[in-house]
Amino acid sequence: MHNAMKVAKWEIKRNLKNKSFLIGLFLTPILFFGFMLIGSLFGDDSGESAVTTHVYVHDELGVYEAIEATARQHEFDWKIQATDIAEKDIQKELIESENTAYLYFDDRAYSEGVIPVYASEEMSPFFMNQVQVLEAPVKALQMKKLGLSDEQLAAVTTGIVFDETIATTETDGNGETAESGSLGEDPLEQFVPGLFAGIILLSIVFAGMYIFQSASQEKKDKIAEIILSSVTPGELMQGKIIGYFVLGIVQAVVFLGFALPFAIIKLEIPVFEYLFVPETLLLVSIAVLGYLLFSSIFVGIGATMADMSSAGQFQGFVMMLPFLPFVFIGPVLSDPSGIVAQVGTYIPFTAPGVLLLRLTVLDVWPWMQIGISLVILLVSIWIFMKLAGKIFKVGILMYGKNASPKEMLKWLRA
Amino acid sequence: METMLSVKDLEKSFKDKQVLKRVSFDVHKGEIMAILGPNGAGKSTTIRNIMGIMYPDAGTISFQNHADIPRHKIGYLPEERGLYKNVKVMDILLYLAELKNYPLHKAKERALAYLKKFDLEGKENVNVEELSKGMSQKVQFISSILHEPELLILDEPFSGLDPVSQDLFKEEIRSLADQGTAILLSSHQMNLVEEMCDRLFMIQRGQKVIYGTLDDVKTEYASFKCTIRGKNELSAFEQIPEVRRIDQKEDATILHLSKNTHPATWLKSLPDHLTIQELRIDRISLHEIFIDIATDKNLLQEAGEIHA
Repeated sequence: MHNAMKVAKWEIKRNLKNKSFLIGLFLTPILFFGFMLIGSLFGDDSGESAVTTHVYVHDELGVYEAIEATARQHEFDWKIQATDIAEKDIQKELIESENTAYLYFDDRAYSEGVIPVYASEEMSPFFMNQVQVLEAPVKALQMKKLGLSDEQLAAVTTGIVFDETIATTETDGNGETAESGSLGEDPLEQFVPGLFAGIILLSIVFAGMYIFQSASQEKKDKIAEIILSSVTPGELMQGKIIGYFVLGIVQAVVFLGFALPFAIIKLEIPVFEYLFVPETLLLVSIAVLGYLLFSSIFVGIGATMADMSSAGQFQGFVMMLPFLPFVFIGPVLSDPSGIVAQVGTYIPFTAPGVLLLRLTVLDVWPWMQIGISLVILLVSIWIFMKLAGKIFKVGILMYGKNASPKEMLKWLRA
Repeated sequence: METMLSVKDLEKSFKDKQVLKRVSFDVHKGEIMAILGPNGAGKSTTIRNIMGIMYPDAGTISFQNHADIPRHKIGYLPEERGLYKNVKVMDILLYLAELKNYPLHKAKERALAYLKKFDLEGKENVNVEELSKGMSQKVQFISSILHEPELLILDEPFSGLDPVSQDLFKEEIRSLADQGTAILLSSHQMNLVEEMCDRLFMIQRGQKVIYGTLDDVKTEYASFKCTIRGKNELSAFEQIPEVRRIDQKEDATILHLSKNTHPATWLKSLPDHLTIQELRIDRISLHEIFIDIATDKNLLQEAGEIHA
């Protein structure tokens, strides 16, 4: 262990003195937040330049007030005016105007169920979505005309909602589900620790990629044998994993150094309040486990490669493993407790990512699944460390050529 | 003499091929012991087994009669060697010394002294990638001796060096041996080995061929040979006594004489009708013995048979 620490110290020192590492260290967050900032600038622009839509209403049904109320209620940026321009003259009017729409509320609404909308060119596509909202007041009016009582009206106009309650084995029955399901809470409260752990996971997985490079560089520079005359392969491997873990944390700290002020000042989120909760600890340890898994795989595979450019298909495939959780993002977000999400939780390569995602989204944590997933992770870390050790030992001394999967299999059996 | 390293009955196979067959030798304190052999004979494999980078299938390796090898007492310069590229010379020297548990301030002092000795003064803060190949070799050599090892193992230390640097290395290795370091070096540059080693171990296809002190080997195997230039029929030489082998190439004929032949007496037995433009008698050099082994000629076996 003593020697492993020396190796770790050396790897840290070496990289921190290395210009390209330093540039990468600061460039990543700068680029990331730079683009975010640019994006938000553009976002602001379009917000300010959004022109008020002129909506002219030709009202034969007496819905004008109801429409105005609805528009106000939904905070549409509409300027509503009554008009009695004939339908045939509209084309001419519209050609000369911008952001203008004419709505015709006449008998056709009842007889054909259609309300003609004439809009100027380059009308925002959101406008038609907004217009759909007006269906309710028109419908209400229609029903009133049909002679329904107010009570009946209320019953009909209230939409039917499918109220979803998910059966969880862990429900204590003290109304926790209902409480946490309510909209009153700030969703960010859960989101911040998850995002925090996600940044840490991503940073150290990137650092793990450096391990990969470092191991194959060791071969290319032919220094492995000199080092191995002083330390065992196991110590060298451990040293690298520890060293790059620290470098990953450094990367995360730098990243957060940009992110925290950004979040606090720009987005006005009380980050620290949300961050210092016990959940953060679990999330971060999941991230660390994820790192240990990938770094052991990377250090082993790195030792089999003469250099990055000659990576075989097998090595390339392994390189992609940390990005596997991205496949699950869609399904997990749409159904955080669904079968896909659960499967993702139990596959060691996707477990850290999927688990972080689910715990961020889910209101009630499925402790049983978390437990099983953590056990799977720990076991696979142990297995992969062993395997990587075997591959590393032989691979690091094989100069000038890549190892084939067949050879690796042989080393594993040895 | 104190035995520093003892290798006994070392065996190693890769796949089905046995690359080391019962290799045994000792390295003593203060001597230079050379492992010689053509490419692929098993030199580097032997050394890697000693360094614990590979593990032998059978046999024992002991250091001062202990089975565990204290790595920090050994200096090692591998055949396949290099240095981290984007670091400073001094940083890597200190790192390698640190891995050997050598005190930092002493390492720094010695590093500066050695850099000066090897004409690299003022290069301590230079990036390794800016060094020439020769300079880089020197830095690697320094790294292997910085921690004052008791046993120094050098795998092909002279490969890629110019004659000036070769002499520098040779002197340094000699002086380390004089100071009591046990040195094991492998090489296929016979002239260098012949000049500096005390004992040698020649290996071919993983097997011992010769093992002994340089003087012993020379008297044992290096008999005389006579080179005659001039146009002569091969049959002209066949009647000459005490000739083990005749090699004829164009106008030159080399007569390998039997062991213990007295050159002056033998010269008188040359037939009168020989065309001689040039005649030379000298001992077979280590180089020739080596070439013979490497090319599987039977010089040694013959010598062995006659000897037996």
